[in-house]
Amino acid sequence: MPFFVVKRDLPGVTPEVLQSAGLRAKTCCAEMTGEGQPVRWVRSFFLPETAQTHCYFEAASKTAVEEANQRARIPFTLITEVMEMTPEMV
Amino acid sequence: MNDADLAASFAIFAAKQQGANEVTADHILVGCLRAISRFGIATLGPWSVDLEPMGVDWVRQPEGPRPKVAYSQDAVDLFDRAALIAKSSGDPAVGANHLLAAFAAEEGGLMGQLKREHGISSASWRAAVARMGAGDNKPARVESEKKSAREYLTPEEAAEALGVHVQTMRAYIRSGRLPAFRVAGERAIRLLRADLEKVLEPLNGDKKEE
Repeated sequence: MPFFVVKRDLPGVTPEVLQSAGLRAKTCCAEMTGEGQPVRWVRSFFLPETAQTHCYFEAASKTAVEEANQRARIPFTLITEVMEMTPEMV
Repeated sequence: MNDADLAASFAIFAAKQQGANEVTADHILVGCLRAISRFGIATLGPWSVDLEPMGVDWVRQPEGPRPKVAYSQDAVDLFDRAALIAKSSGDPAVGANHLLAAFAAEEGGLMGQLKREHGISSASWRAAVARMGAGDNKPARVESEKKSAREYLTPEEAAEALGVHVQTMRAYIRSGRLPAFRVAGERAIRLLRADLEKVLEPLNGDKKEE
């Protein structure tokens, strides 16, 4: 299943707000998966210098990732498919 | 799945059952209460909250295609507050107890209704949730022990005393197998503890003990 990155600009965000968003993302992904539209929040990175987050999702389509974020009510600026690369692969 | 995930899942289910577009704070309260409930009764501190009047069909499982729902802004605010409470408590993850504690100051919606019906104050709610969070449910147990010593029981307490499903208990009442009484002028139903034995039949009752 393809991976997607969800970019967010979150100026002034606190760790608690990120935790709250994570819980919402997790539960919405579980709900959508239960509905037959598999989507999984894999992990997120917060970039303190730019107040951005890069959140990685695994899903069948970009639409599914977009819907999961909309349901979780987490704002985003960009969703795009990414190519996975690990040290073991090169 | 931790209890916050479970509460959120129940909240989403409650919203879908109602055909709502959004998961509101009320749905989250219902979800949290269902997550800590047993046989459709959520016990928190001295209060026993029956989930059925809240529209919760607690034995029904999600089924078939359901409408899609998103979290509402008041639900987002609630999750944010719960995360703050978790942090101030030094807990690494948000639990159902933090979500419940986040309702303490609410005066409107379902929480306001619960406060009025059960005489709950913000402080007493926080105290009850704090005991739950610490895993110390002694006050609740003591209260339930006091109740279990009472002569008259609610259908839920009677079901628990007999170890049967509350719906089985309601069926006994409907069929007349168990005498039940209505509190004058109220909807509340009570059963006499001594009557519970009426539905107990000895195993091999027609055989003599050897």
